[in-house]
Amino acid sequence: MTMTAIPYADTEAPDVLVERQSRSGRIAMTLAVLGLIGLAVMPWWASTGTIRSVLELCCYIAVAQMWNLLAGYAGLVSVGQQAFMGAAGYALFVLAQTYGINPFVAIFLSLLVPAVLAVPIYFLLHRLDGPYFSIGTWVVAEVFRLTASNMPIVNSGAGMSLRVMKDFSSFERNVAMSLLCAFMLLATLGGSYWLLRSRFGLALIAMRDNPIAAASQGVNVAKLRFLIYVAAAVGCGLAGSIYFMAQLRITPGSAFDPMWANVAIFIVMIGGIGSIEGVLIGSLIYFIADRWFGEYGATYFVVLGLMTLLVALYARTGIWGLVSKRWDAPWFPIRRKLVHRKP
Amino acid sequence: MQWFDALVQGILLGGMYAQYALGMALMFGVMRIVNISHGDLVILLSLVGISMASAWGWGPLPVLMALVPLAVLMGWVLQKTVLNKVVGSDPLPSLIATFGLSVALQNLMLQIWSANSRSLPGGGIESQSIEIGGIYIGLLPVIVLVVATALTWGLDIMLKRTRFGRALRAASADVEAAAMTGINPRAVYALATAVAVGILGFAAVFQALRSTVAPADGPAQLIYAFEAVIIGGMGSVWGAFIGSMVLGISQGIGFRIDPGFGVLAGHIVFLIVLATRPQGLFGRA
Repeated sequence: MTMTAIPYADTEAPDVLVERQSRSGRIAMTLAVLGLIGLAVMPWWASTGTIRSVLELCCYIAVAQMWNLLAGYAGLVSVGQQAFMGAAGYALFVLAQTYGINPFVAIFLSLLVPAVLAVPIYFLLHRLDGPYFSIGTWVVAEVFRLTASNMPIVNSGAGMSLRVMKDFSSFERNVAMSLLCAFMLLATLGGSYWLLRSRFGLALIAMRDNPIAAASQGVNVAKLRFLIYVAAAVGCGLAGSIYFMAQLRITPGSAFDPMWANVAIFIVMIGGIGSIEGVLIGSLIYFIADRWFGEYGATYFVVLGLMTLLVALYARTGIWGLVSKRWDAPWFPIRRKLVHRKP
Repeated sequence: MQWFDALVQGILLGGMYAQYALGMALMFGVMRIVNISHGDLVILLSLVGISMASAWGWGPLPVLMALVPLAVLMGWVLQKTVLNKVVGSDPLPSLIATFGLSVALQNLMLQIWSANSRSLPGGGIESQSIEIGGIYIGLLPVIVLVVATALTWGLDIMLKRTRFGRALRAASADVEAAAMTGINPRAVYALATAVAVGILGFAAVFQALRSTVAPADGPAQLIYAFEAVIIGGMGSVWGAFIGSMVLGISQGIGFRIDPGFGVLAGHIVFLIVLATRPQGLFGRA
């Protein structure tokens, strides 16, 4: 006899199973694993040019997924994640070029910088209400850019070059880039998927749907937001380090380029906010559009901007939202579904 | 003397920032919306004004007379077509919508007017100065400050005394309760945005007279307006004005220390205010 005040009627537990994976999910998972292996062995099937393009695409995916975690789940709309990309990129250049640390070790050390910077920045910015938080993140990115422009250790406004990379053969560099691409996707996409399927995932989804209701159910919204902010800073830092290692050159203007905020917002909003599938769809669309229409320059960005506007006005769930309304076949299922146990 | 000069120049610069910040304070106070394309609208109006001046040989005053009604109309259309659809408790849709608009506007301007910096010829007014106690003060910045003060005063009186002002304050306090008393929130919002963007008509003319404008300048103006509003304290018109002064003075003194430090000094003062007094200098705690 349990010590409850309300007597519960004895009921038999229904004979059900909690189903967490689906057929579409298994197919997608197989393809994802094959894709990651394909990325890791790129030097044996792709040219240097292709590897560079794929690396760029992987950076888009990583940054967009970090923005998706922030805006789609934690309700933190940042337009200043480039602050962490640039900070980590600069840290890599200083560690590898100035202090002579092996660049492939320095990439991982450089992630400490965004992690450490994100803590005080979050405590400053979380005081700002909704939309003001966004512009606050932008101010921080500007502060970083102006600080880098005035800091002699990073060669001020003139920027730095990663000359130590010439110590490695082009094949060695390709192998490293490919492995880093695979690792970046595994960390950002795989990490997010793991997070969303864990018990934190339930809390995150509850928070996405309604933060106040989530808090009333015992979700520590403030702590979760803080953790997501730091994690997203590190994720963007990883993308920044890898991107600028491939670029071999960093300047304050490129490191803290607000273009990254445009790209992340476009990808997530068009693809579908609050889903990993949306990020993949959006990234592919952006990447292909950039290759095909990039030469039209300003016109292309006018169309991109207007599309973002129209999605915000009329189709807030993006492409994946429209697709999943029609077909229930998630690539990365995170739901828990009760099914009757078969006799 | 040098520092006193920096202070005076900073206050005059603050007059310019106040003209951006007023509209932002009004829109956020009423709708809890931040229009990311705020700065791009200033630049768009400036460029339209410059084209008017060069096409028809107009002086600054006729340009101002034409731009302000145009700005009011733009604000009204913006609210009707975009903002009314995204106003609500969730900040994401309005942010994304105005962000997209900002990207589109910047690139559209780039196509029409190219990336060159332009300015509005002021017929000599921009180079006149008055000497007071060994400091030269530009006539134009003084006019900018006087206009900014008048706009702040006018907006404050409008909010306090007029029927529209009461409706605005009611809608900002509790939109549902206001609707129950017979106020149409959408109409109030449309007028508020029309007034907010209308003020940008003044800012556009003075910005183009004071310095140069280029299509990519909008985001910087947005950030200055935002910093001024936060420093002053949200929801207060005079707070935004004083915040603009603080920002202008910080930048003025920063520029005097090192030309590369001016804008950064403004950002740092903003972050210090945020760390020590997050409700702003004049905000209610």
